[in-house]
Amino acid sequence: MNTIITSGATVRLTVLQGQFKISAGPRVELSTVLGSCVATCLYDPEIELGGMNHFLLPEPPSGRSPGEVDVHYGVYLMEMLINEMLSYGAHKNRLRAHLYGGANIRAGMQQIGTANAEFARSFLRSERIELVREDLGGANARRVDFRPASGKVRCRTVASSDAPEVQAPPMIRQAPRGEVELF
Amino acid sequence: MSRTTRVLTVDDSASMRALLNHALSTNGFEVSQADDGVSALEWLAVNEVDVVITDINMPRLDGFGLIEQVRGGTRHRDRPILVLTTESSDEKKARARAAGATGWIVKPFDTDKLVAAVRRVAH
Repeated sequence: MNTIITSGATVRLTVLQGQFKISAGPRVELSTVLGSCVATCLYDPEIELGGMNHFLLPEPPSGRSPGEVDVHYGVYLMEMLINEMLSYGAHKNRLRAHLYGGANIRAGMQQIGTANAEFARSFLRSERIELVREDLGGANARRVDFRPASGKVRCRTVASSDAPEVQAPPMIRQAPRGEVELF
Repeated sequence: MSRTTRVLTVDDSASMRALLNHALSTNGFEVSQADDGVSALEWLAVNEVDVVITDINMPRLDGFGLIEQVRGGTRHRDRPILVLTTESSDEKKARARAAGATGWIVKPFDTDKLVAAVRRVAH
């Protein structure tokens, strides 16, 4: 279940790779630790609703066989986060975005962090969503704590060993892929 | 000689439009694109189409509204309309079906399954 609306005691929810969560709970905090992954924090100030996603790769490569596409790609997680917020009353033209992560922690490896950061900026530009703050790139892992009902974000550097290893999507969760039902 | 199948995709996500355009055009379809239900209706008022593929959650006019208006009109009322959405609830699927949708496809889409569905409903 991706949607949590709560107004009770303080609740800290972790957003793992390949996930998104939204909430309007004033005591809810959405948290994640990022290495090369990018987290998008979206906020609609008028209805005080926010959400966070955490993706590990930008888009499926064009040469990839179709059956391998899954929700760990930013292109899907961005849309899922936006759609979920719209379905709870957010308006796209009111959305404000923060972007975090996209570090290149291990020297010599493919610059996944840079690709993720560039994808996220480009996605927001093409969707005309205002980017109000970003902390992207570099070589350090980050911990992000987001209060979805107020839009406040705390981002701090943490030891790179705290960042989750980037895992191949099928190892985490096999998403339903393009199931077709004709009526 | 068979004519190229004309597909209109309706989605407010520019990235999703790009993915759909790539998936469909490389499989031989003639692709046109609209970014919400209102734009789609404007396009449909002056163009011909064989299959419509629409998202559900969109600004101005959502997918349900688009289906209802197409079905309630005269020009394209018999055209197949496939819903392509991240939504998975049975309630929304039933609503799309009641509005007159031809089929339901869950994002992220699988190109082979999408293409097979479009070919099947287009004839």
